[in-house]
Amino acid sequence: MGLHTLRLATVPLTFSTFTSRLFLKPIPPNTLQTLGQFSRHVQPRKPFLVRAFSASAAVHETPPTQASDSSAARPQWKASIDFKWIRDNKEAVEINIKNRNSNADLGGVIELYENMVNLQKEVEGIREERNNVAKKMKGKLEPSERERLVEEGKSLKESLVTLEEDLVKLQDELQQVARSIPNMTHPDVPIGGEDSSAIRKEVGSPREFTFPIKDHLQLGKDLDLIDFDSASEASGSKFFYLKNEAVLLEMALLNWTLSEVMKKGFTPLTTPEIVRSSIVEKCGFQPRGDNTQVYSIDGTDQCLIGTAEIPVGGIHMDSILLESVLPLKYIAFSHCFRTEAGAAGAATKGLYRVHQFSKAEMFILCRPEDSETFHHELIQIEEDLFTSLGLHFKTLDMATADLGAPAYRKFDIEAWMPGLGRYGEISSASNCTDYQSRRLGIRYRPSEPLQTGSKKGKASLPATKFVHTLNATACAVPRMMVCLLENYQQEDGSVVIPEPLRPFMGGIELIKPKLR
Amino acid sequence: MGLHTLRLATVPLTFSTFTSRLFLKPIPPNTLQTLGQFSRHVQPRKPFLVRAFSASAAVQETPPTQASDSSAARPQWKASIDFKWIRDNKEAVEINIKNRNSNADLGGVIELYENMVNLQKEVEGIREERNNVAKKMKGKLEPSERERLVEEGKSLKESLVTLEEDLVKLQDELQQVARSIPNMTHPDVPIGGEDSSAIRKEVGSPREFTFPIRDHLQLGKDLDLIDFDSASEVSGSKFFYLKNEAVLLEMALLNWTLSEVMKKGFTPLTTPEIVRSSIVEKCGFQPRGDNTQVYSIDGTDQCLIGTAEIPVGGIHMDSILLESALPLKYIAFSHCFRTEAGAAGAATKGLYRVHQFSKAEMFILCRPEDSETCHDELIQIEEDLFTSLGLHFKTLDMATADLGAPAYRKFDIEAWMPGLGRFGEISSASNCTDYQSRRLGIRYRPSEPVQTGSKKGKASLPATKFVHTLNATACAVPRMMVCLLENYQQEDGSVVIPEPLRPFMGGIELIKPKLR
Repeated sequence: MGLHTLRLATVPLTFSTFTSRLFLKPIPPNTLQTLGQFSRHVQPRKPFLVRAFSASAAVHETPPTQASDSSAARPQWKASIDFKWIRDNKEAVEINIKNRNSNADLGGVIELYENMVNLQKEVEGIREERNNVAKKMKGKLEPSERERLVEEGKSLKESLVTLEEDLVKLQDELQQVARSIPNMTHPDVPIGGEDSSAIRKEVGSPREFTFPIKDHLQLGKDLDLIDFDSASEASGSKFFYLKNEAVLLEMALLNWTLSEVMKKGFTPLTTPEIVRSSIVEKCGFQPRGDNTQVYSIDGTDQCLIGTAEIPVGGIHMDSILLESVLPLKYIAFSHCFRTEAGAAGAATKGLYRVHQFSKAEMFILCRPEDSETFHHELIQIEEDLFTSLGLHFKTLDMATADLGAPAYRKFDIEAWMPGLGRYGEISSASNCTDYQSRRLGIRYRPSEPLQTGSKKGKASLPATKFVHTLNATACAVPRMMVCLLENYQQEDGSVVIPEPLRPFMGGIELIKPKLR
Repeated sequence: MGLHTLRLATVPLTFSTFTSRLFLKPIPPNTLQTLGQFSRHVQPRKPFLVRAFSASAAVQETPPTQASDSSAARPQWKASIDFKWIRDNKEAVEINIKNRNSNADLGGVIELYENMVNLQKEVEGIREERNNVAKKMKGKLEPSERERLVEEGKSLKESLVTLEEDLVKLQDELQQVARSIPNMTHPDVPIGGEDSSAIRKEVGSPREFTFPIRDHLQLGKDLDLIDFDSASEVSGSKFFYLKNEAVLLEMALLNWTLSEVMKKGFTPLTTPEIVRSSIVEKCGFQPRGDNTQVYSIDGTDQCLIGTAEIPVGGIHMDSILLESALPLKYIAFSHCFRTEAGAAGAATKGLYRVHQFSKAEMFILCRPEDSETCHDELIQIEEDLFTSLGLHFKTLDMATADLGAPAYRKFDIEAWMPGLGRFGEISSASNCTDYQSRRLGIRYRPSEPVQTGSKKGKASLPATKFVHTLNATACAVPRMMVCLLENYQQEDGSVVIPEPLRPFMGGIELIKPKLR
C-alpha cells in the first residue's frame, strides 16, 4: 500500500480541532489517557553509533514507505502537531530536515494537510446544504417538492458519510506521516555530522599512569566486582551481576547523585519500569520493529523503559498545569532496559553497553521562555557532578545530524576512559522544547492574559500553551563505573573511591584485591 | 494427547546415567549451561492467596493432563530427579503429595520409570546380541551363514533404532511428569491448610492509636509520597511512582538492610532482571500459561524475574563447588516484576500487591547437613531486622498445603498493618534442600571421602553431592512501607522514621505534610 493511496479528497482539520477534542478538556484521572499509538522509527543502527547511548540519539525518522505499511491501522493517539505552522514555514522545515539527516517526507505532510483542509471545507459545505434542505422541509410543501427534498437530503447525507470517512483516513494518514518530522533546531547548533559537534567545555586532563593499566573488565574480574560469565548463562550476553564493593559503589553513586541534585530543588522519584508502548512513542522512541531498542512484554501493549525520561514524561500526560507550579524538576531513579539491537564492536565492551543498568535521570517541565536557561542549568549540574568525581571530560554541543528527532539541542559529555583508551559518552542533556509535550498533551495555563490572546474574546482565561521538556543524565551507573575503576586504579590492583562517594559507602576508601 | 500414549515400551535409564551425562562433568565456564527448559506449573491462583507473595508459595504442581499437552516438545533440560529413590519410597512420597495438596501423578511417574528401566534393559540386551552377531562375522563363514548373520544384524539394528527412539520419548515423558512432584517435607511442619500453620514466635503488640488512623494509601497521598494515578495512566493499574521522602525511605531501607545483612557475612549482589525462562523453571516457577506470575519478553526465551532468588540461584548453575567455599551467602538487590494474574480483593490494595517492586533477598547455598541451621539463621536475621524497625509481627511455620513445590519448610513473617487492619506477609524464608540444585545442577565435592562411596572404587575423589539452597526476604520495600507508614503515623498526619533508618536518610526523622 503506497503512501498516497488514501489521499482521496479534501477538507480542513485545523490544529485546534484536534487538540480541543483530545487534550484541552480536563481529563478525569484514571480514564482517558490510554489513547494510543504512534510511530517514530529507529533507523537501522550505524555500526559504531557511540552516541546512541542517549535516548534521543537512537531515534530517527521512518522512511515514508515504512510508515504507510501500517496506515491501515488507526493511530491510537494524536500528536498535536502544528501542521499550519509547518506549511507556513516550509523552507525552514525543509532545511532543518536536511541538516538533521532526517528522511521525513515534508512534501507528503504538506500535501496531506492541504488535502485535508480542502476536504474539511467540502464537508462543511455539504453540512450547510443539508441544513438548508432540512430548514426548507419545515414549511408547508407540495408532496412532489417534499419528495425531491427528501431525496436531496438523503443523497447529501450519503456524500457526507463518505467524505467524513475519507476525512478520518486523511487525518490518520497525516498523523502517521507528520510524526516523522523532527523538532526544529537551536540556531547555535553546529550543522553537520558527528565530527562537526562543537566542544563547549573541557575539564581536567588524562591521568598519566606509571604502570601498565587494566580496563574495567579486568579490574572487575580481579577485584571480584563484576560477573559477566554467570550472567551470560542465566540471562544472555551483555548482562552482569555486580558483587561486593561494586554493589556499594552503585548505591553510593545513586545516593550521592540524588542528594546533590535534590539540593538544586529537584523532586526525587522512582518510576514504573513497565509502561504502555504509547508512552514510549509519545516520548519519541519506537517500541516496535526489527531494530527497536525497546523490550516488549509478551501478550500486552507494554514495554520496558530504556530511560526514566519515559515514565517521568508520562507523569503529567494529558493535563494542564498551573504556570505557578513551573518549572517542575525531577530526579528519577530507575533501572533501564535496552535491546542494543545492532550494537557491536569495541564500543560495546564490558559495562560500556549493557542490556540493563541503573540510572538517575533529571527531567524538567517549564515555560517555553525558560527552557534554554534550564538546559544550561542541567549541563552545569552534570559538569559539576563529574568534576566532583575528578573525571576528565569534555562537553559537546552535538551537531544537527547527531540529534534525535525530539531534541532541539543536545549537550553530551564524554569522559576519558583510560582502560578503553578513548572518550566515552557518560551523559546527555536535551532540550526537547514542545516536541514531547505536543505528543504527551502537557500544557500549562499562563497566569497573565497573553497579548496575542484568542480572537473570540469570550474567555477571560488565557489560552493554554505546551510546556517545554528537558532531560539529562545525572548518573548512568555502569559508565560511571567504567570511569571510576579505570581512572582510579592503582599499581597494586586496588581502586581508590573518590572522596564524595565515601560517606555513602560506609567510609570505604579503597577497593582492595580479595584474598583467595 | 493423553499422558500415557507414549508409554510404549520398557528399559532402564538410571539416575546416574542422567546425571553423569549432564552434570557430573566439570563444565567449562561460558559454554554448557544453557541446557534448557523445564516445567513446574503454577496452579490457577486462589482468589485470596495472601501468602502467594512469597515466590515459592505461588508455585504448585500441574495437573498431569496439562503437562502431557506439551509432551510432544522435548524438555530442553533435565532435572536430576532421583527416580529410584521415589520408587523405593513410594508410600512416603504419596503421603507427602497428599499433605501438600499437590496433584502430582506419582503412579504415572513410577510406571514411566519402570517402563523406562525395562526398555533400557531390552535395549542393552539387543546391543549385546548385535555385538555377538558382529563377533561371529569376524571368522570365516559359509556365504549363506554370513548372509543370515547380515540379515540378523540388520534386523537387530532396526529394532535398536526404534527402541532407542522410544527410550528417549519415555525419558522425556518421565521428566515432564516427575517435575511436578513436590519436595519432601520437614517432619516438624504442621500438616494441613493455611489455618494449620504454627506460630513460631510473636514480637511486640499492635500499637494503640488515640486518633482516627489512615491507611498507607491515604498517607501516601496526603504526604505526596506515592502516585498510583499517574502510574495507572502510564503503565497500568498496580504500578506506582514513589516521590519525595518515599524515594529516600526506599533507599534507606535497602542500604540499611544490606549493611545489616553484610555484617552477617553475606556477599552483596545486584542481578540481571531479565533471565532465560529455563532458569525460572529450574528455580521452580512456571514462566508460561494463563495464570503465570511471570512477564515474558516478546520474541525471545527471556522473562522478567519475580524475585532475585532466580538470578542468584542461576549464578552457580551447572557447576561443582568446593566444599570449602560453602556456605555461600548472598544478599541480592533487584527489582521484581509480577503479573499478579488472578489477584483481586482487599489484599491487593495500594502497595500491598504491585507489579514492580524493590527487594533485597538472601540466598544461601550450603551442605545438606547445614541447611536446617542456615534456615534458622535466615529467619533469625529477618526477625532481628523487623524487631529493629519496631514492627509487631509473628513468625509462622507454614503448613504443608501452603508450601510451594520447592520448599522443604517455609517460615513466613506476618506484620501488623493497622491501616489495612490486618496482618500481612512481609517476608518468607524457605529451605529448598536439593529441589532447586537438582534442577540447576549445583553440586559440591566433599573434601573428605564419603563413607558410602562409589562401589567402583576407582576414583580417590569423593562423589559430588547436590548443595542445598535457601532463600529469604530481607526487605520487600513496598510492604515495609505499608508497615512503616501505617504504624508510625502521628495525629498531625506526619510519619516518624524509625531510628535505624535515619542515618541512611540524611538524618530525616519525620515526614511532614507538605505546604501546598
